[in-house]
Amino acid sequence: MSEGSVEIKELVKTYTDDRGRPTFTAVKNINLHIEDGEFMVLVGPSGCGKSTTLRMVAGLEKITSGTISIGERVVNELEPKDRGIAMVFQNYALYPHMTIFNNMAFGLQLAKKKKDFISDTVGRTSKALGLDHMLERKPHALSGGQRQRVALGRAIVRSPKVFLFDEPLSNLDAKMRVQMRSEISKLHAQLGNTMIYVTHDQVEAMTMGDRICVMRDGLIMQVADPLTLYRQPENLFVAGFIGSPPMNLLKGKVQKRDGGIFFAENAEKNALNIQLKGKLEPLAGKYVDKDIIFGIRPEHLSDEVKDPAHVPVTSTVEIAEPMGSESLVYLKGGSGNLIARIHGEHLFHLGEQVTVQLNLDKVSLFDAATESVIR
Amino acid sequence: MNAEQKVLVRKVCAHAFVIGFLILVLVPFVMVISASLRQGDFAPSRLLPDKVSLDHWKFVLGIPYQEVVNPATGETRMVKAGTPPLLWFWNSIKISLVSSAGIILLSSTAAYAFARLRFKFRTTTLGALLILQMFPMVLSLVAFYVILDFTGQHLRLIGLNTQLGLIMVYLGGISNYIWMIKGYFETIPASMEESARIDGASQFQTFIRILLPMSLPIFAVVFILSFISYMSEYPVASVVLQSSDNWTLAVGANSFLYEQEKLWGRFAALAVLSGVPITVVFLLCQRFVIGGLTSGGVKE
Repeated sequence: MSEGSVEIKELVKTYTDDRGRPTFTAVKNINLHIEDGEFMVLVGPSGCGKSTTLRMVAGLEKITSGTISIGERVVNELEPKDRGIAMVFQNYALYPHMTIFNNMAFGLQLAKKKKDFISDTVGRTSKALGLDHMLERKPHALSGGQRQRVALGRAIVRSPKVFLFDEPLSNLDAKMRVQMRSEISKLHAQLGNTMIYVTHDQVEAMTMGDRICVMRDGLIMQVADPLTLYRQPENLFVAGFIGSPPMNLLKGKVQKRDGGIFFAENAEKNALNIQLKGKLEPLAGKYVDKDIIFGIRPEHLSDEVKDPAHVPVTSTVEIAEPMGSESLVYLKGGSGNLIARIHGEHLFHLGEQVTVQLNLDKVSLFDAATESVIR
Repeated sequence: MNAEQKVLVRKVCAHAFVIGFLILVLVPFVMVISASLRQGDFAPSRLLPDKVSLDHWKFVLGIPYQEVVNPATGETRMVKAGTPPLLWFWNSIKISLVSSAGIILLSSTAAYAFARLRFKFRTTTLGALLILQMFPMVLSLVAFYVILDFTGQHLRLIGLNTQLGLIMVYLGGISNYIWMIKGYFETIPASMEESARIDGASQFQTFIRILLPMSLPIFAVVFILSFISYMSEYPVASVVLQSSDNWTLAVGANSFLYEQEKLWGRFAALAVLSGVPITVVFLLCQRFVIGGLTSGGVKE
């Protein structure tokens, strides 16, 4: 049954001023299909249109053009309460003058449900969230994490088809964030509802999502499961956005010489010059004498040699960040630093000469002009 | 001078300044009270009355008393007010209460529209309100007279010399309060109302059940401010209200200041009387003016 599936077709949102003149287009024609029961994460930098998209699904923003369907029913003209959705806000949005019980029961009270039903439903939900002993308190007497749980409870009580989360963990401290992350994931496993989750934190996206939709400037850059986004980014933006620390992206040209294909970085000093072997050869072969971008993740610039696909790169250390079990080493590169992730507890010093092994199998090449991956 | 002495000097100076300021504020207050308790209407150089008399207060409260007409013969007569000043007191309270309540009703709904809704000419209207509020109500006295005269011909209830007519005029001074309440509404995050909307509340229900309970502080402030201003308002009331049983306290008090004989005693007593409801309203509304009414609702 696809009752909780969400279909976004050619969605556009343009803001207008008081006189009706268009000022800014936040969402520039996106198409997205979310399966019933899926945990879809919308991720991207500030201003990319992810919150706007979520609010249009909720019904809090008017749709300029395009359609949104929930469970195969077009909901463009429906009020939020009739769409079968529930939303958890970034700043909790609890009613401060009401008790926790009334906060959770408000929706049911408005729908004129019977008192027994209300106290039953709220009781069950609050018990599951560990809030049943504080139902008579007001929000200001609760901690941040407890307030967020009340917000969750309020959403659950509505028995929605789709849960919408608008950066719910951004206001919590790091420890609470990790705890709530797993609670939300557990909730998804328990309830099985479709959940659309907006965040700017790519770690949250990677750990929680069944699929991730990376957005930028009102457009969708790529939609895929976390591992695919990591391994096979379709464009430069996704490659640089997913993964922390970010992928090393070197600008350079493809040269054909000495019977092989080489990548030559555009730099005067410390330029990387590597022969592209294996599956990279035919890909780069299409771009001889053209500009490309060479991408390699820090974790694939290591000191372990596994197979002949590794190429040594030697440079000096500029910054070293020891993390305990491994170190993030910033090596002097052609333009900026080459970040490498080296295992072990060795302490690196400024100016130290280090040789890292670059794993050619994990290299991604991008067209410098179109910014899309070269396949 | 060492550090300790410096601190002492500073303390003394600060206290002296504050006490001096207090005296400056309290002296007129004491003057008015003593004028109401002084026998006769002559204002001598002494602050406190040497001859205390309750005649003025008896007059104001409608208690008849004996007054010496001819000091030579000792002839006395009973003095009683033509129109009891207590009636003016009651008129003032009535008009101020109803106007303040009406102000809150009208300005809160208007402020909600300006703060939350988007419509054509919204910013223009707001700007116009801002500019209009700079002109005191008194400038439109002639206009009020003419308008009320006209409406009075068709509907007796809101014509000239009616209290309802005066209330209608007072309700026009809402632009200041709209700005105040709008500013307050804008500090309340919209996500609360959005949450209520998702819960199924209509715009009106959201206004009544979510926004209003959270806005009690600003409503208390608006009520206090408008109540005070209407209790002490003179120009418009004196033009609109003509017969003495319709007068407010301010107009009635002014009626004692005849050209030849200014009855300061009665005037002062009425002035003190007008302070009583204001103080009561202040005390009652104080507990609503508490900060942090939105605390806990959102993460700031």
